[in-house]
Amino acid sequence: MSRYLLLFLLNLPFILAAILSTVTQYKLKKISSRRLVIQVLIGVVALIGLALAQPIYVWLFNNKLTDTEPLSLFDVVQITAIVIVFYIANRTRIKYLALETKLQELHSEVSIKLSNEVTHKK
Amino acid sequence: MIKKVQRVCVIIPAYNESAVIRDVLKNAKKIFSASPYDIAIVLVNDSSKDNTANIALKEKVTVINHIINTGAGGATATGLRYAKNNHFDIAATMDADGQHDPNDVIKGIRQIEKLGSDLLLGSRLIDSSGMSKIKVIGNKGLSVITYVLFGVNSTDSQSGLRLFSRKAIDSLRWHAGGYEFASEMLWKARQLKLTVNEYPIKAIYTEYSKSKGQNNWNAINIVKSMIKHRISETFG
Repeated sequence: MSRYLLLFLLNLPFILAAILSTVTQYKLKKISSRRLVIQVLIGVVALIGLALAQPIYVWLFNNKLTDTEPLSLFDVVQITAIVIVFYIANRTRIKYLALETKLQELHSEVSIKLSNEVTHKK
Repeated sequence: MIKKVQRVCVIIPAYNESAVIRDVLKNAKKIFSASPYDIAIVLVNDSSKDNTANIALKEKVTVINHIINTGAGGATATGLRYAKNNHFDIAATMDADGQHDPNDVIKGIRQIEKLGSDLLLGSRLIDSSGMSKIKVIGNKGLSVITYVLFGVNSTDSQSGLRLFSRKAIDSLRWHAGGYEFASEMLWKARQLKLTVNEYPIKAIYTEYSKSKGQNNWNAINIVKSMIKHRISETFG
């Protein structure tokens, strides 16, 4: 199997999962249309970049814009690992922000309830 | 027809303000009691290390004690949540260091009734006489940055005197805990398509309020946090 095809197939699920997650968030009205467009655009650009990695490399090489070696198996593993790390980091950040918001709300609510109890006891 | 008396919740976020809080509350109570509105003062004690909460309790105002220190944004959010839970018609915020004249709150309530605004900002910069040049530059700079980052036009984006309609009390939420909440709030209001207006207020600068207030170095931290929130909102 071509290494470029392997690169594309290994990364495809993560990019599709990210796009799907963004669309779901939009449909659930958790993000704005502007954010949807930006995030989907990033996913689509990454997807096009991976799908056209070979022709892009050939074009750059032929036009003497790069003199790097063609894609090795190690490069495939490394690029896939970078995409996975980005995916996990973004998911973690989203969950962290949601948790932070919930914690703030909980803190506000508990502070109000405790203050009410103190006032009523007095 | 008998006009309904507006129930107003005046939120005062406070952190280590024991030196002035008694005078601030006494003055506010005196002015609010003479007004035609039903005004309740709520002091949100942001986990002060001094006697702020006890002094406020002695002044017989509602005190909400934060368990941990969250910053001005967090304390204001708690106050607004209290106003929502208790079904107030209007909420207002004013600083605890005595830089705001309670008469400006009354003026704001009249303005919000007249204009039908959802968020009304008391701007110190429409008439900035009495304000030091360095503060004018710092605040104008932050308003410009707020416009660049969030597309919200305001003469005084950092003003602590703000009034909220019932709609704003119910819907307005922000993420920032620190002082950058002031700009984020304007941005969220714009996203929610709330009506935002301004009216002129006079800030009272004493040696105490000057020492407690934001200096231009703090503005750098505010700008950093604003950029962080802007990027996070775009790509998050």
